[in-house]
Amino acid sequence: MTGRGSPSRFLAAVLHNGVGRYVRQLQRLQLLFSPTAADARGARQFVEEEALDFARRHPDVVLYVSPCTGLAPRLLAEYLNGTVREELIASKTSEEIMQLATKLAGQSGLDIIRIRKPFHTDNPSVQGQWHPLTNKPSVLNVRGPCLQPQ
Amino acid sequence: MQHKRHCLSPLGLPGIQPVVLELLALRAASARWGEKTEEVTARKEEKELEAGKIIDQEKSEPSLICPPPRRRNYLPPEDVQSCLESHVQEIFGPSPPGNWLQTPLNENRLKYRLLAQLAAELGHAVPNSQLHLMRIAEDVLNFYRTPVKDVSKFDELCAAELPPNLKIVWQQ
Repeated sequence: MTGRGSPSRFLAAVLHNGVGRYVRQLQRLQLLFSPTAADARGARQFVEEEALDFARRHPDVVLYVSPCTGLAPRLLAEYLNGTVREELIASKTSEEIMQLATKLAGQSGLDIIRIRKPFHTDNPSVQGQWHPLTNKPSVLNVRGPCLQPQ
Repeated sequence: MQHKRHCLSPLGLPGIQPVVLELLALRAASARWGEKTEEVTARKEEKELEAGKIIDQEKSEPSLICPPPRRRNYLPPEDVQSCLESHVQEIFGPSPPGNWLQTPLNENRLKYRLLAQLAAELGHAVPNSQLHLMRIAEDVLNFYRTPVKDVSKFDELCAAELPPNLKIVWQQ
């Protein structure tokens, strides 16, 4: 399948984040898990051991821990631009969940689709884009390109 | 069908009475075995339930108030070592100084006396599963030095000081 079939976007930072100060784009992380299910063991270990560290290291992210019986364990990440990303954490270890949470905390809420160019700039040219009449005598503008007169 | 009473349910569902599970299993089995067996065994179940209720009523007549549940909390007092030493000296006789920790607990009667006295005094007994681990007096000392708390980890976490961006939504 070519790139035309799937959506794509240009590389961009949300509102030029990072040019001035950096604002973390992750607003809140909700950890939904069951207090008794077997596949939520990693989630429970994460809450007991590492959730406090995570919360201290990322003071601008709100972490909601909600034990609820009878559902698959998942991590819901909500970003400042409204995107909600849901990740299943069934049968994952505590370290893997920590890595996943750190990854989500570093992302912006932009869509994860093909990026057309790995670079982007607002000022592509400082002195002006070259064209064939740059650095040529300006009389060419008047009489046009022609052979040397005899 | 009788042997089912004493073994765990195959589903291992917590919080459901074993009698209810039996009835569910019976209803499932009735589809295979026909109506008659269900009725007969259901009648037997009802009779046994009534008998159980009568026995319970007879037992509970002397005291109608339910006693408070036993707390499993244990905080080791500071003089655990001296207390244990005095008990060991009393039961096993005088031992070489500085080496009372290594007194072996081979004699079962003396071991029982020691552990029973310690349990009565400190209010914390060695569980059956760890009796075989108590070989010398040092093991007993280490056991009685470890504190035990019966708070679940979540309750402990809720009670502890949380940073302002960590919220635990605990629906209980």
